[in-house]
Amino acid sequence: MKKIKSCIVPLIAVLFAFTVGGIIMGCLGTNPFMAYAALFTGAFGNTSMIAQTLALACPLMFTSLAAAFAYKCGVFNLGGEGQFIMGALGAVTFIELTNAKGGIGIAVSVIIGVIVGGIWALIPGILKIKRGLNEMIVSIMLNYVATLIMSLVYTNIFRDGSIPQTSEVADSLKLPFISGNFRVHYGVVIALILGIVLYYIIFHTSYGFKVRAVGDNPVATKMNGYKVSFIMLSAFVISGAVAGMGGSVELLGKQFRLQSGFGAGFGFDGVAIALIAELNPIGALIVSFLFAVLRKGATALQVSMGVPTAIADIIQALIIIFAVGGTALEKRKQKRVKTKTVVTVKGKEMAA
Amino acid sequence: MGEILNASFLLNLFMATIRIATPLLLVAIGELYSERAGMCNIGLDGLMSIGALIGFVVGYYTHNPWLAILAAGCVGILINMIYAIATISFGADQIVYGMAINILCPALAAFLYKILFSNTSKLLQGVTMASWNIPLLSRIPVIGDIFFKNSPLVYLAYLLIPLSYIFFYKTKAGLNYRAVGEYPRAAETLGINVTAKKYLSCIICGAMAAVGGAFLTVCYTNTYSEGIVAGRGFIALSAVIFGKWTPSGILMACMIFGFCDALQIRLQLVNSVVPYQLFQMIPYVFTLVILIIFGMKKLGPKANGVAYSREER
Repeated sequence: MKKIKSCIVPLIAVLFAFTVGGIIMGCLGTNPFMAYAALFTGAFGNTSMIAQTLALACPLMFTSLAAAFAYKCGVFNLGGEGQFIMGALGAVTFIELTNAKGGIGIAVSVIIGVIVGGIWALIPGILKIKRGLNEMIVSIMLNYVATLIMSLVYTNIFRDGSIPQTSEVADSLKLPFISGNFRVHYGVVIALILGIVLYYIIFHTSYGFKVRAVGDNPVATKMNGYKVSFIMLSAFVISGAVAGMGGSVELLGKQFRLQSGFGAGFGFDGVAIALIAELNPIGALIVSFLFAVLRKGATALQVSMGVPTAIADIIQALIIIFAVGGTALEKRKQKRVKTKTVVTVKGKEMAA
Repeated sequence: MGEILNASFLLNLFMATIRIATPLLLVAIGELYSERAGMCNIGLDGLMSIGALIGFVVGYYTHNPWLAILAAGCVGILINMIYAIATISFGADQIVYGMAINILCPALAAFLYKILFSNTSKLLQGVTMASWNIPLLSRIPVIGDIFFKNSPLVYLAYLLIPLSYIFFYKTKAGLNYRAVGEYPRAAETLGINVTAKKYLSCIICGAMAAVGGAFLTVCYTNTYSEGIVAGRGFIALSAVIFGKWTPSGILMACMIFGFCDALQIRLQLVNSVVPYQLFQMIPYVFTLVILIIFGMKKLGPKANGVAYSREER
């Protein structure tokens, strides 16, 4: 019952956001019902479209899982984008230097992505616990640095010919499709498994309990003798590792090369998704899919009805605004009920 | 190296420093007013992006730079009211809503730009605010060129520093205002309207951040491109922290960031051997290094970022 209840606020938020989005499109002279019909056929029209939507959801799943895990521990990792890019960069560097091939090449590339992403997240983590720096600012600054390093790599170091981009990865390194008819690469499966594993870690292991405890009340956790700063640091590194894995999977599964714009915006989208999903990994997977539907559909919408694709981003932001506002209102109400009961109980004691 | 150190290079460098530091300063002052009332608003980058667009669009259609700045400020206030209502009245998390603003505003800006200018592919030019040469002072060699031949908004930004200092530290109203950020419950018992002060802080912050964004498209350049803000909102946010939440500290921080950015642009032009990306990293890396050296001691307002509810005990 409680689980069903916790879904109500996000669902209403989605409904509200679509309504406002519809009003905006209506004001521009587009029939919102036709527009949404075009949006959903664009995302679900046939199996090939569904497959493309899932492929779009894949990087979002990784970055949103990364964001959700860090926030569960009370550390705001806004550096998902940088860690994602660095993960992909690590994989590209490995591939360019060793000419690795086949399944082993894939496995090592992904593992390198995980490691490099984790290291990139280690920087804000260490600076937070050692120097007390705000992890949000540090991780955002590192996003810009990572983007520039990537630009350096595809324009100078591993440039392929006249266009500023790296060469395409070998065919044997590309992630295979699940089936010939349903052309979704296996990265989606990795993301789904990872989501379930993270859910299990957070809610069913003692480490996860500590992570949640630090997130809820770091002072109380410290008083109980847990190493709060170590737990925070580890959560940050795991978060970065997840994002880095996403970067290498996106490289091997969908983009096949680095070029301008790789990974742009995935970090903040992941944050948005994690917040709407109320930091639940399974929820994050579902919301990632919803966001991908919006993206994929918005492209179809632009082609068929001339509505700019940015409508998808606006609807996403509106979902956050309504979902988080709704949750806050709900919490405030519960608190009010609690204080009231405390007051009345006290009053009764006094009377007796 | 000879060409780096000649006089005109240095003159250009310092002139660029002032131009680059101004938008940061406008936004950082706005954030100072916000955080002093306990409202940690990380949505500055978003507010700047919508300000940049509105400033450009209004300037393009009306050819009046002042109207452009005014319109940007008003839209900034409107957008920031989403943040204000949610965090002050509903008690929602300030960081989360700041992020929501950061996602909403660039999308809104991109959407509006596509709707308005989808038919033209050429680079559109808006208006540029003419600079004011201050009489007498602008005729001083070098110093006059650097400080007294600027856009009026530059003077406004620098004037706000001493004014804010006097307000915060020399007036009773400023003391009351700071009390809201330090200990809202005590402030409330002294008859200060905490909620009103917090809303006021959001109005100031929304307007200033959007005007800072509009500076980019009305004064700094006269064109608009997606991503023109390029993280300046976050740099302004770190300037507030690095400036230890004081007007003079913020001025210094913004000047240092402005100098770094001006320097990297100039170095890119002079040097063709070192990849330009390394220079572009300078402002971001420098921000990090500065933060690492100075640390972030808890000097900020005590109740910064904490939701305030009158009924809670």
